[in-house]
Amino acid sequence: MNKYFSTKMSIFVFATPALLLFTVFCVYPLVPEIWMSLQKHNGFQSLGFVGLDNYKAIFASSSFWTAHKNTYLIVGISLLLGIPLSMTLALFMEIQTPRLRRFFKSAAMFPAILSVTVVAQIWLAFYEPNWGLFNSILRAIGMDSWTHSWLTEKNTVMLSIGLTFLWQYIGLNAMLFYTGIKTIPKSYYEAALIDGANFAQVCMRITIPLLQNIIKYVLILSTLGSMAFYSHVRVMTAGGPGDKSRTVIYQMYYTAFDTSEFGKGTAIAVVFILECLLISFLIQRFVARDKLEF
Amino acid sequence: MSKASKLKSATLLAAVLLVVSACGNNTDSGSNQVSDNSPAPAASTDNSAGNEKKIKMRVITITTDENRNKIMDEYIKPNIEKALPNLEVEFEPGGGGEDMANKLKTLNASDDMPDVFWNDAGYFTPLKSTGSIMDLTSAITADGYIDKYAVPDALKHVDGKIYSLSSGADTYFTPVIFYHKDMFEQAGVKVPTTFDEFMQVSKTLKSKDMVPAVTPGKDGWGPKLFMLQQMIQIGDPQAMADLVSNKTDFSNPSVKEGVARIEKMAKEGVFPEGISNLDYGPAMEMFTSKRAAMLMMFTWELPNLAKDDTVDFFPFPSASDKYDPAKVVQFWGSPLNGYAVSAKTEHPDEAVKLAEFLAMADALYFESTGAPISLKTGNAASEKSPLMQKFIDWYNPIPTKIASFALNSLDARTSAELSSQGANLLTGEYAADSFVTAMDKIWSENTWFDN
Repeated sequence: MNKYFSTKMSIFVFATPALLLFTVFCVYPLVPEIWMSLQKHNGFQSLGFVGLDNYKAIFASSSFWTAHKNTYLIVGISLLLGIPLSMTLALFMEIQTPRLRRFFKSAAMFPAILSVTVVAQIWLAFYEPNWGLFNSILRAIGMDSWTHSWLTEKNTVMLSIGLTFLWQYIGLNAMLFYTGIKTIPKSYYEAALIDGANFAQVCMRITIPLLQNIIKYVLILSTLGSMAFYSHVRVMTAGGPGDKSRTVIYQMYYTAFDTSEFGKGTAIAVVFILECLLISFLIQRFVARDKLEF
Repeated sequence: MSKASKLKSATLLAAVLLVVSACGNNTDSGSNQVSDNSPAPAASTDNSAGNEKKIKMRVITITTDENRNKIMDEYIKPNIEKALPNLEVEFEPGGGGEDMANKLKTLNASDDMPDVFWNDAGYFTPLKSTGSIMDLTSAITADGYIDKYAVPDALKHVDGKIYSLSSGADTYFTPVIFYHKDMFEQAGVKVPTTFDEFMQVSKTLKSKDMVPAVTPGKDGWGPKLFMLQQMIQIGDPQAMADLVSNKTDFSNPSVKEGVARIEKMAKEGVFPEGISNLDYGPAMEMFTSKRAAMLMMFTWELPNLAKDDTVDFFPFPSASDKYDPAKVVQFWGSPLNGYAVSAKTEHPDEAVKLAEFLAMADALYFESTGAPISLKTGNAASEKSPLMQKFIDWYNPIPTKIASFALNSLDARTSAELSSQGANLLTGEYAADSFVTAMDKIWSENTWFDN
């Protein structure tokens, strides 16, 4: 076995197909994309080389910055609210009886397996301002002044969509954490119990530190997943009202396809690719670098 | 060559073959190919050749409104096999609005245009500039189809060519305000004749816990397609006509006043909460279920709404002496709206026949509803509903018909930005001045009139 599979050649053999596919489908498309971002382009033909004009134009556009604000708001919701809640849910599942645990596991996974369109339609009904669930409850308990047109007011639209996103994927992350928890040796918990540690101390001193690889994985998944946030916006508000709920990906789509300015659209894409690379690098560089063995 | 090198070469070759096969353009599997499920060897345009192989055709058309779905289910699908036995037609839902536009623009960019598709002024320009849309003049002249049109010249684009075949019903589509007579009676209000009266009627309806008026607002549908035009037109029709023909811009005081009227309606609760995110279907449902007293909508919904005896309509009420609804009206039609044929289809003759069949299906449907059409079906004129007759009696004698701003004045960017700005305006959180400032800049960069 070693003769064939422990050599540099074997690394080359196994890596080549994937590398080739990655190059053809991921790296190569960047080249024409960058080239297109330097042209005035309507999607069908180049209307001339414009240098960095597309980049200047997108940086001067308020919609570009609104889209960034919205995207990073979703990232923030996903990381600051989503990950702690997922972790809490996972810890909660761990201490349940097997029967309840099965129920919670199924309930947690259910939203994640639904299509985005279905989830968005359900939440559209919740948010409907005239007869929707949320406003109806608020009116029923006499809190009329708290009712909102959730998806058309500039202060509530992005938070409302973010909550939908959170609801859909919180269970998936919880399942990842739960799977990680199950890999931690029982003996650690037994020793902690003998030493008189309570539940919170066990979580803070044993469970969470030993989950760092899973946390890193969920962090990357949640960050990049949130940055690619598009489908919920498309179905729920179409980026509106105006540009109030556009994310960067949506702004890129809008610019390229709705306004037929593919040069500017690809310029947004290039800038966003750089942002994603930078964030990915920062996570890799600073989060959970120590090798964990137990 | 060493074993290692041979193994490396074999692996690389396999990987390259995998990639090439995935990326390859299989010329044997296009949409225009002859299917294998028939024993005859060649494609044929002969309708009597029932046993010959069928030619596959792909059609993309609008699928978002009830009329279109009825035409498809009741007039196209049940009859197409008999009318065109040599064709095997695959219908692909196109959606509507920006979705339809983006779909066709994407298919055009990837050189994968359907053989026949619904054309629209909103995405005609890129299709024309890439040579993707066929001039139908010679084909429909040769087979005599053009003679079925009451006014053949109405089919011609400004360049003199014919790109689309329609029933001609579009010309009769105009925005009006439908209302429930019983809800008006219940609230004790009368049909308004001025904009101020309209606002007062809305206030009264609202005070009776009724939603005064509804219209699709998501993605700025209503403001872009008719509301902006109507609100300008009811104050100064000439200013609107000038805007359509690029003789004025958004800094025109009459245009600003029109925009301010939309802001006023949004702020004073004429529309339901969340109007700027209200889609076409829910807006229609809100009116038909009598949760809203009025509906601002094009008359293409008139045949469906006329089934309810409590529904009537009135023109947009006047905001100044310059406007008289009996003398000026907006019409929807554009010679570009209709079934078009891809210039790149492998079977142009069959595709033209298919487009002709589809246009006739449209005509038969609209004729059955009592709507006026310009494509002659050969049938005797059907009896019109009282509401349709009322519409025709009002619409036909109107001497000045202003073309649609949305269809005849906007390039892709201006159209998209007007949608966004219009949706903003409906929130009631966006000032008319901000709208005017934004649109004035976008309008100055509009390339529609450059061609």
